[in-house]
This record gives sequence, C-alpha cells and structure tokens, in this order.
Amino acid sequence: MRCRSPLSSVPRAVLLTLVGLLALPACSDEEDGPGIPLVPLDAGTTDAGTDAGTTDSGTPDAGPTDGGSSSAWPQSFSCQGKPQQTLTFNSTQVQELQNKVNDLADCTTIQLGAGTFVLDNAITIRSKGITITGAGKGTKGEGTGGTASTVLDFSTAAANSNGIDVVGDLFSVSDLAIWNAKKDGLRVEGSSNVTIRRVRTEWAQENQESNGKYGIYPVKSAFVLIEECEAYNAADAGIYVGQTRRANVIRNIAKQNVAGIEIENTKFAWVQGNTAVDNTTGLVVFDLPGNPIKGTDILVVGNTITGNNRPNFASVTASSSTVSQVPAGTGTFILASRRVEFVGNTWGDNNTVDIAVLSGLAIEPDITQWSAAYFNFPSADVYIHGNTFTGGSGDAVDNGNLDPERRPLGVLVGAVYQYGASQGEPRVEHVFWDGIDPAPRDESLRNPVNLCFTDNKLPTAEGEPKHAIVDFDLQAVSGYLRTTTPNLPAAWAETRRYPAGAAPFNCSGFLPKLALP
Amino acid sequence: MRTPFIPGLGLAAVLLTAALASCSGGDDPPAPGVDAGDSTPDAGVDSGTPDAGVDAGEDSGTPDAGNGDAGPPDAGDAGPGQPDASVVIPNTLSGFGLFTGSPATGGLQPVEGNVPYELTTPLFSDYSVKSRTLYVPPGKKAGYQARDVLDLPVGTIITKTFAFPADLRQPTQNVRVLETRVLVRQPGGWEAFPYVWNAEQTEATLDNGGELFRNVQFIGEDGVTRKLDYLVPSKNQCSKCHHVFDAQKRQVMVPIGVKARYLNRDFTYGGEPINQLQHLANLGKLEGLPPALQLPRAPDAFNPLEADLGTRARTYLDINCAHCHNARAEAGDTSRLFLDITSTETPNLNMGICKRPGSAGSGVGGEFDIVPGDHSVSILWYRMHTEESGKMMPELGRALRHDQGSSLIADWIEAMPDRSCE
Repeated sequence: MRCRSPLSSVPRAVLLTLVGLLALPACSDEEDGPGIPLVPLDAGTTDAGTDAGTTDSGTPDAGPTDGGSSSAWPQSFSCQGKPQQTLTFNSTQVQELQNKVNDLADCTTIQLGAGTFVLDNAITIRSKGITITGAGKGTKGEGTGGTASTVLDFSTAAANSNGIDVVGDLFSVSDLAIWNAKKDGLRVEGSSNVTIRRVRTEWAQENQESNGKYGIYPVKSAFVLIEECEAYNAADAGIYVGQTRRANVIRNIAKQNVAGIEIENTKFAWVQGNTAVDNTTGLVVFDLPGNPIKGTDILVVGNTITGNNRPNFASVTASSSTVSQVPAGTGTFILASRRVEFVGNTWGDNNTVDIAVLSGLAIEPDITQWSAAYFNFPSADVYIHGNTFTGGSGDAVDNGNLDPERRPLGVLVGAVYQYGASQGEPRVEHVFWDGIDPAPRDESLRNPVNLCFTDNKLPTAEGEPKHAIVDFDLQAVSGYLRTTTPNLPAAWAETRRYPAGAAPFNCSGFLPKLALP
Repeated sequence: MRTPFIPGLGLAAVLLTAALASCSGGDDPPAPGVDAGDSTPDAGVDSGTPDAGVDAGEDSGTPDAGNGDAGPPDAGDAGPGQPDASVVIPNTLSGFGLFTGSPATGGLQPVEGNVPYELTTPLFSDYSVKSRTLYVPPGKKAGYQARDVLDLPVGTIITKTFAFPADLRQPTQNVRVLETRVLVRQPGGWEAFPYVWNAEQTEATLDNGGELFRNVQFIGEDGVTRKLDYLVPSKNQCSKCHHVFDAQKRQVMVPIGVKARYLNRDFTYGGEPINQLQHLANLGKLEGLPPALQLPRAPDAFNPLEADLGTRARTYLDINCAHCHNARAEAGDTSRLFLDITSTETPNLNMGICKRPGSAGSGVGGEFDIVPGDHSVSILWYRMHTEESGKMMPELGRALRHDQGSSLIADWIEAMPDRSCE
C-alpha cells in the first residue's frame, strides 16, 4: 500500500510534455454523409430542415408520429403499413404499464394520463416505433402531476436505475416530466430517428452531487430532435447529446445543472434558440479522449447563454468527469472540436469567461489517448460572428473560489488575471483561446487554428475588457506558474490580447461551410 | 422423439394484477430452501421427459421461416425437415414443466432432463443463493465451445432461481425464494423472462414488468444483518446484461455463465459427484467435449489454492463485469474498458491500467480506472465498492457491496507494481 491520500497530492499535470509530436496522420474520416446540402446561415432562420422550426408549440402529437423529422431525414425503420395500437394508462396503473412496456409490439403508442406515476424501476423500451405521450410537462419545481401534466416520479425507485431507458429506432416521447431519476432521466441509446418534445427532467434538490448525471441523454444515436424541453438540477448535464450523428436541439431550457447543454463527440448538430442560464457552464461542445467518433459541424445559433455562475457541484473529492473540472462562470467552452459556428447568440454575466476555446490536450495531454478518433484533440475552425456580448463577464474566475486540485485550469487563469488587474486588465476577454493547438506551438503563427471573430456586438461600459480575444498560451503560462517559484509577470507576458475586428482573428469562417445533412 | 402435449398451457400472457405481498423480510412463514436437486435420480436418457412446453405446432409456435435464425442449423431435429417450433412461454413457471414441487412443499425439484449445475465462480447478486438448471430438448445436443457460451440448440431453457435464507450461515433454513429468471433459445434467438414467486412460495408468475422487493433482510456469513431493496429486473432490463453485438452489429441476447470454464467442476448427481460437463456428455446433451485434461477451467475466485491472485481477480471481473465490458457490448464499446478474461491476459490500457474513464461522472474515487499499486484511487475498485446509486457497478443486479469481491480486486491492484499514472 502506497502512502497516498485518496486525493493525489500531485496537481493534475497540464501539458507535461508536448515534445516530439510527430506529424499526425491525416484524418480520414470514414463516415461523412453524401450530398450534403448547404445550410443558409442568416441568424434568424428557424428551419433546420425539420419541423423543428415551425412554431408548433404545444399541440401534443396524437397517435404515431413520423419520428418528428422531416422526410429529409432518412428513416431506418417505419411504421407505415404495420399494425399500430394505442395503449392508455392512468397513474394508478403503474404495474400494468410496466408489464406492457416489457411486452410491447413495435409501433405502439403509450398514452399516459395526467397525474403522478410513482415508479420503482425504469421504464425500459426495447421495441421500435414506440411513442410515449403525457398530458403535459408541467412547470419547474412540480414533482406531482396536475390535471394537465404527467409526472413520472422516481424518488423511491431502485438504486442505479434510469427514468426512461430506450433502445429502439423511431422513438418519440412528449409532454411529460421525469422527476428525481436515480441515474439519467431520459436515456436513449443506439437509436435512430428520435424525437423528444416538451419533456422536463428535474431533480428536486439543487446543487446535489448525488443527483442523476444527465437529464435528457441521447447517446450513440442518429437523427435526434430535442425540442422545447426543460432540464434542471442534473449533476452533470441537463441536455447531453453524446456520440450522435445529426441532432437538432431547439428551444430548450437548461438551468441549475453543472453543464446546461453538452454536445459531445457528435457530428452535425443544430443547436438553436435554447436558454442555458444559471448553470456552472452553459453550452459546451467537446470531444472526449478515447472515443472513436470525431465531432464536427456544430451550429450554435440564437441561444441565450448568460449568468452561468453556479458553483460546480460535480466538483468533489476525486472527480474524474470533464465537467467536474470546469470553473464556475464559463458560458461556453469548446474542446477538441472543429467546424463550430456561433451566430446570433447572447452571452453575458458569465464570471469566468463567455467563450473558451480549448485543446483536448488541456484535459488529456497524452496524445495516445486520442488515437481512437485519429488524434482529434485539436480545436480548429471556430467561427463566432453576429453575436451579442452583453457584458459583466470575466471579472471573477471560478467565482473567486480557485481550487488547484479540482479545477486547475481555473487556478491558472484566475492567477494570471489577478496579476492582470495590476496591469489594467482585470477581466478575462470574451473569447479565451488556450493557444495550444497545433502543438508544439509556433510563435510565428498568430491564428493557426482559424478562430474567427467578426461582427459581434460588444459591451462598451466602463470596466469591460478592452480586447475581445486572448491568446493565453496556456503551456507557457503553466510553465511559469506550476513551479515552486511562480513567476506571474512572466506568465502574463506570454498572453496576447486582440481587439474585436483585429487581424488575424477577423477571418470569415471556414470552408467548406457548415453542412448539416 | 414425439413431444408430449402439456395441457393447460395458456397461450397469451395474461395481464398480471397479482400484487405481491409486500416484502418485510421476516413476516413470511419459513419456507424450506431451494433443493439443488441432488436427489433427482438420473436415468441418463430422456425417455419420458416432460417436454418443457414446446408447442407442438399450433398458433403461437411461429415456424422458423425467414426469422433470421441466429444460431446454427439444428442437426438433431426431431422430424426431418420440420422447422423448429418456438417454446410457448407459460404464465407460470410450473407451466414449463421443468420442475416438480415448490419451495413451499419441500423444495423445487428439477425434472429429469432439466440438469442442475453450478459455476466455479458465480456472478455476485446481493448474496442471494442461486440455483441453476439447463434443459436441452430431447434429441438435441449442445456443442462444446472452448471459450464462448456453449452452442445451445433451439428449445434450450436455462433457469436461475434467486433466494434469500434468513441467515446465510444456515443456507437451507428459512429460505425465501424471490424470482426465477428463464432464458429460452427460440428459433430467432435467446429471450429472457422474469418469474416472481408468490409470498406463499407455491408458484412463480411471469412478471414482465419486474418487481422491487423492498427491505429484504438477511444475516450474512459474517453475522451482520443486511437489508436491501431487491430488484427483479424487468424483461427489457435483461438485455442490459445479456446483449452483445453480432457480426452485423445487431444486438443479440446471449447467456452469461454457461461456458465450459465455469461449468468445469463437480456436482452431485444421483448421490455421486460428477464433472458437470462430463455429466452433460454422458446424458447425450453435449457433443465435442475434449478430454478432461484439455478443458479450460475458471478457478473459484476466492480459493487461493486454486489459482494465483491475478487469475482469481481477472476471473471475478470476467464473470461479474465482462458481459458488458467487452469489445462486443455497448458498455465496453463506450467506455473502452474490456474486462473479459482474454482482454486482461497482459496488463494494458483497455483493462483500465492508467486509463481515464470515458465519462465517469463525478466523485468516483479517482482519475484512472486502475492506478497500479493503489486501489484507493482506482475507479474500477471504487465502483465495485460503493453502494451509492449512480456510481455502482454493475449497473443492475447489485444493491450491496460484495465484501469479498471488493477485497479481492483491492488486493490485486495493490499487488501490481507501483506506477504513477500522471
């Protein structure tokens, strides 16, 4: 037994060695879609090639749906010409519901009546073409169903169980709430043509590390629509699109989670009109090391990402998840991601930073861990244009609660800007680029990752940052600060700031343009 | 061989409304334990074996036409050219005709041809006492497989019955039987069915929705009283442990324990200890069995006389974790953590050594799945050790810590040469 406290006394090594990086193999991405139509990108468009854009708010779908996607989305399974039945259950028929769910013909609709369904186990769907409808999702804080809402209450369910657990193509769920699930609220795995509309996932207590991890969680799926849902108090992510190909995340509300909305290892996502407020971090895009899917082509349009300053309640002893390391007050971060476009969004009052653009090496410096998806750790091709920054951000990194053990990146940034205050630069700029990619760093290249920042509206009030973008040179900063004799002036000198519109960040996006099949 | 018709088989599953008496762990009349069946005389032939409800060809036995038979062609088919019929799934366990008696009447006895067996190292299920049987239909044989699950023919039925004695130190006294899980090899592949025993212990009824028995209480072998909410998984939840990808990347259901290395042990049949594999071969139920010396064997993970620490720990992970954590199953695919006995032969990243989790959530004990030399910061150990919802592994089938298993894995990690993963 080695004498070591459960918490490693060695702070997480950030970028210990980046030497000897060979030219990386070209990324032969094996699965790019054919004949991809280009997406018009005026900020106001609300037509993602699905019915997500129509202002169809609130009419519950009766009967079987077409999976909620337009005919533009291919369907691997169809209910056309197949027997379709509808089963109705009220809140006193929980055992009958469970028995039926586990003996379900494809293409069945399950209608849940208004009220509170107290469940002691997950609703586990393993058939295709299943539709679940309720009487309404109710409002935040409601753990019981009313006359026009259906609440599935898992407060006393078996440990380790999810709320609704689905594997099955052409799945649709709408107009219900999932309350106090033991693990994930709604988990949909390995399914294509998934429609999630007007679903609320919530845990009763805020700031509980023991709450379920994910509210709405489609993973390893394809052609997923999440629309007009609400997600509160998840101990990881309220809405988490994981390892999915083609997702629309439209007009949802995510509050009081560690991460409001996460797009992880996902190809082709359209994230529009969402509200990500009062989380630790609002709306994030990243790839994780070890995952074979290389995320790309993410459109983030018209979202509100403000006031995400909730202390990181996933950040506890011996955390290992990505979000547990995020400093509170991070509006958006992208990590190990490429071809991400931000247009028409609003950021503000995010105490650490509005947008952070990070290399995957910031969380996993061992590049062999990134081999599964052709070394997808670099972030590149990020286009931030036509957005509004309302101000009030970047003035209290990690809310001032710096924790070297749990959130080391916050410590470095916080320390640098504490020194920056003495240099007349107390606030983190709206866009924080860690300056790592492509490693090893070539000082002669000012914007090698093609990070573009144009036509954004910036706050002009007294005390707002004088610049829009910072190249933080995290590796050099780390070198000056992670020693027994930290050298703040030298670290500060490594960072570079650029005003809005300045070269080389005044580029105009990337080619080919975003394509969302 | 003609399959006798069993009268009284309900065709469609009747909607269940039989509410089970809530479980208070101590109020029920004492019931005798599950008899492991060692008093069943073994004729060694299946003449007169009641057939386990194989439909003789009426309605619900869908002929196997274009059903994508997941298995090999059946060599030992009864009528030449006859398609395999589906096993009709009865509403009660007794409807299978696989057992006589009941726990309430002196024990559940496997009928002749329904062969009881045990594993060298079983999967941990909250300290429940488990009894297993394997039924291979008349005229058919299982095919030996050195590594994978035995090649079991259409019509095979595997049962596993879960029971809690009031005191594990007296495992045959005051036993309460909770559920019997049944795996059936249908023409289209394996299917799983949960049967829940009534409070009277006279019958188990098909319960697709599963059941949560609250406050099940028993005294452990250490004399400590334990209490848990015991979950009978719903039918669909069976797939959480029993699904793997086939060659076409479709999810198919497979049994877990019925592998030669776990079956390679003695069991008392007709009063005589006989090797279980040999017994199946003697019955004409298993073909291709190599000589005893060539048989693989998974050791008893808790018997140091049987194998070294590493082999025992890896065996424990294999039977408890590898049905999900292998390259052909969803969890393994997602986490890149492979714990099957083959994948752990030599230390490597994918068995967790200095491996960061894909997305382990928070507060799971460390940054790496295994930190060699230090179990206390190894996520793999933490997830086995904790009883916290959302952090426990395996995902289903455990509410309590397996003290022995946790210690075994801790010892194994401690015995690895120290290495910092930083």
